[in-house]
Amino acid sequence: MLNNEQMDQQPVLVVLLYSGLAAAFASLGALPFLRRGGPGRFSIGSAYSFASGLMLGAGYLLMSEALVHGKADLVVVGAALGVGFTWWTQSYAGTEELRRDAQAKPDRPEYGYKILLQNALHSAAEGVAIGASMAYDLGLGVFIALALAVHNVGEATALTSLLTQRGVTVRQSAGLCVSVKTPQAVFAITAFALTSALRPWLPLALGLAAGAMVYLVISELLPSSYKRAPKSAVALLVSISAGAVILLRSFFMAS
Amino acid sequence: MYYELGIVFLAGLITAVATGLGAIPFAFMRTVSGRTLGLANGVASGLMLGASFGLFSEGSVYGLWQTVAGAAVGVAFVFFGERFLQDKEVEFGDIRGAGARRILLIIAIMTLHSFSEGVAVGVSFGGGEKLAALITIAIAVHNIPEGLAISAVMRPRGSSVWACAGWSVFSSLPQPLMAVPAFAFVEAFRAVLPYGLGFAAGAMVYMVFLELLPEAFEEANPSRVGLLVSLTLGAMILFQKYL
Repeated sequence: MLNNEQMDQQPVLVVLLYSGLAAAFASLGALPFLRRGGPGRFSIGSAYSFASGLMLGAGYLLMSEALVHGKADLVVVGAALGVGFTWWTQSYAGTEELRRDAQAKPDRPEYGYKILLQNALHSAAEGVAIGASMAYDLGLGVFIALALAVHNVGEATALTSLLTQRGVTVRQSAGLCVSVKTPQAVFAITAFALTSALRPWLPLALGLAAGAMVYLVISELLPSSYKRAPKSAVALLVSISAGAVILLRSFFMAS
Repeated sequence: MYYELGIVFLAGLITAVATGLGAIPFAFMRTVSGRTLGLANGVASGLMLGASFGLFSEGSVYGLWQTVAGAAVGVAFVFFGERFLQDKEVEFGDIRGAGARRILLIIAIMTLHSFSEGVAVGVSFGGGEKLAALITIAIAVHNIPEGLAISAVMRPRGSSVWACAGWSVFSSLPQPLMAVPAFAFVEAFRAVLPYGLGFAAGAMVYMVFLELLPEAFEEANPSRVGLLVSLTLGAMILFQKYL
């Protein structure tokens, strides 16, 4: 999209472009619902597992880069902050109640609002991952943004299945999916600006992003995967998609 | 030469025995509730994911593609191992059924992974005596959480502390056995190292997502499990970085 020279001269534009692209990709997640009946439980579970693997692969890349170039204690403090912050956002959004309400009262309006809030907060952590990794190395950042763009499709499919059950149309769901992924762009630019200005704290930001993503996968995405798809399918999809992210990254670096 | 080989074997043996220390915290646990079992699974998951992180990044220093190839074989190994065990009546001491299968798989994976760690010890022994002593201590200490992971799976299902310690040590016995030939034929073994490290990482990661985490979510609150997994994972990464 941009050549190397443009990327070097206008880094903020690059961050905006790729994080915006990632958010826009979420609209594709609604596509399978255009077909009558939409995807079944197994497909939704697989979409969650696929997204989990991509996030774990991205987390691995961030963590290993941060550990090679930064002080380990700073990285780990960042990771702990990321986990702590995400844990707090979950209690704020009421992730626990959501889990209970999913059985008891999924039709109530507040359930729907909480789901959207939870998804928006989830995207914020991913935005930090895009921004911090771009400040560290633009190429790595672009790669992380693309991996998260693909992962957004999976998450948006899962979200659309909840929304369409509640009577939201497929087109409106596509718009809502992009809206709740927009924090990725906002937080990517914020994290990029802050970490570019405060260079020594970069390893902390990378650790924070990795910690937040690992925690999100374990506490949010995986429980939803196991509820819908058999555990052997989940395990295979997670390992394969995580491995693919790590392999593709080296492929991109080489070329 | 024989003297040196003896030292390498002894070093490997010390690291193996250290694995048994991982059972100690479980000497103080008497009754185990379903929730504790779930949380113990979370701890084991974090430790195994952390170990895989270390194994994988070390393997990719030797060769990324080889490590990934090894990891794919590791995943396939657990995939087919689980299929194979599924229709068998497995007993482990007094434990039967799914619990026994899980224990058997964990011990099998940990034992196989020790082969590649033994090779790593042997290969790095080529670097001189001081380095060798350092590596022995490092691997010995790093084995303790592995014993912890095995015990965290065995003890809540009713195994005795001595059984936990014994099987932990058993799972590390390939270390002295592999360290000696790896030290004697460094060049040949260096080539297979990334495959071995990748295999261990792939098998562990797959085991975590196939068996440990689903069971953890059945028994305990997902936020708690998430906290425990990420904290033990972080601690394990820090631990490996400083040793």
